[in-house]
Amino acid sequence: MPVPTEERSSPSDSLSEPRVLVIEDDTALTTVLAKALAARGFSVQVMATGQAALEAASVEAPDVVVLDLGLPDMDGIDVCRQLRAWFANPIIVLSADGDEDRKVAALDEGADDYVTKPFSMPELLARLRVALRHRRTSAAVAADGVIALGDLVIDVGAHAVAAGGAPLELRPKEFELLLLLARNAGRVMTHGALATRLWGGPAVHHTESLRWHVMHLRKRLGEGAERPRLVTEPGVGYRLIVSS
Amino acid sequence: MSTDLGRVRRWRPGQLGAVIVAALAIAAIDAALAAAGDRVSRGTQALVLLVPVLGAAVVAGRRAALAVGIVAMVGFSLVLPPVGSPKVRLADDLVALAVFALVVIVIVVTFVAGRIEVLNNVERQRRLLLRSVSHDLRTPLAAIGAAASELAEGNHVDDNGRAMVELISRQVGQLDRLVANLLSLNRIEAGALKLNLQPVDASELVRHVIDQRTEATDTPIDLRLAEDLPTVRGDFTLLGQVVVNLVENAIRHSPPGHAVEIATAHRDAYVEIAVSDHGPGVPVDQRMAIFEPFRSGGNAGTSGIGLAICRAVVGAHAGTITAGAGADGGAIFTVRLPV
Repeated sequence: MPVPTEERSSPSDSLSEPRVLVIEDDTALTTVLAKALAARGFSVQVMATGQAALEAASVEAPDVVVLDLGLPDMDGIDVCRQLRAWFANPIIVLSADGDEDRKVAALDEGADDYVTKPFSMPELLARLRVALRHRRTSAAVAADGVIALGDLVIDVGAHAVAAGGAPLELRPKEFELLLLLARNAGRVMTHGALATRLWGGPAVHHTESLRWHVMHLRKRLGEGAERPRLVTEPGVGYRLIVSS
Repeated sequence: MSTDLGRVRRWRPGQLGAVIVAALAIAAIDAALAAAGDRVSRGTQALVLLVPVLGAAVVAGRRAALAVGIVAMVGFSLVLPPVGSPKVRLADDLVALAVFALVVIVIVVTFVAGRIEVLNNVERQRRLLLRSVSHDLRTPLAAIGAAASELAEGNHVDDNGRAMVELISRQVGQLDRLVANLLSLNRIEAGALKLNLQPVDASELVRHVIDQRTEATDTPIDLRLAEDLPTVRGDFTLLGQVVVNLVENAIRHSPPGHAVEIATAHRDAYVEIAVSDHGPGVPVDQRMAIFEPFRSGGNAGTSGIGLAICRAVVGAHAGTITAGAGADGGAIFTVRLPV
């Protein structure tokens, strides 16, 4: 059955058909993406330029954006920055291998995750699912100063953390780190972003201590089916993932 | 793609302004001298010719225009008889000399610097070309790879078809690595290998590289990774490329069904990554030569640059890479990186 390369649905909050905006100028790739995503129940809109995409995003407010960093009219990083000024939903960046600096720059500008080309559809779909799941969890916990991720509960005001009902003893820096990652659950936090917020300095001086704190925090968090995992994104940063 | 190879350097407004100011300064001195004598000095004559010469050189940027102008200027000023008292003549000669010096500077800057700029242009265009080639190659690769993975995922094809689709995925991966290697070789040759240094855990690096491998092969990969390794300061992406190249090399030389082993260890002041296979091994007399570019020993399916890139990247990290033999004669490639 032929599937149109561009599909729109009326704006709705229906999570059964998440709306994804694909910003990519290669028509071959967008054809594959549109068909594959539509087949999995996504409502897909494709834009080939940054300008058109920014306009489309402001009208449609998609649930998730897939953004190629190499666009014909604008730098993808600028698109990311402009989008992030008002857009709260996840942005997943497509980047070419070897573009590590740009990938990190995009994450620092507010992108949530990245996929390196060439990628497989299962890989991209897995990232989309993680991004959408965390969008919902973070929306659910925002209000009362208590963050619950899986069986991990962080009482921000009381500086208290409990995992599976048992209290966790964390050092102040470990608590700060966990809080940062939990508030951005599912998002890749770059070394630079974490170091700046924990120590107020550039990443080069702190990557090693960051590594050390992550190692300890990971040990304290422990493992479990409901326990969020502190995942290393090698060469880029860290993120907290809630198991599905 | 257009080039500027046939042209000389174009002057920037600031540089042109400096030359004009210098010419005007000389003209002022010259006017004073001319007032002391009873006729137009050599310096003034030279200066009168300097303007069209400069103009021709700047506007046309052609060698011929500049050459004709210079010859005319030098000849004309030599033919003119000297003027005024010996003192004025000496000063006049100095001014004429200054004019010539200015002309020489203009020539040198126009042609020599022009040459350098042309070379820089060639280099820049080479880089741009490679960048765009890599982009143009990788864009369709991304679409092919995504499409193949989508076909393999669903019930679109039978088992035969799935085998074909997996073959496509594997070849896409191989092509992409080839493009990555070509890009790295280009950067290495241009002396533009910039390391993005950060603490790297070798075991984490190997695990990441193996996790990223999407294509299935007949060759199992055994990991023997040391935990709690000290980190090395390195470029994660480039070192990852080294591991990828070594693993692909080992898989290529492995008999089907035989495992490739990757081990990490901490030895003295080094962290070691060793990749070994159970293939035919590397003859003793070739253990240095295989790291030269385009020396893959006639083996099909390789570009012969993978190991050369490994050596260049490891060298840039002040480390070493060696080829040796395991107990059964298979190859062992050992990378040592300083802690």
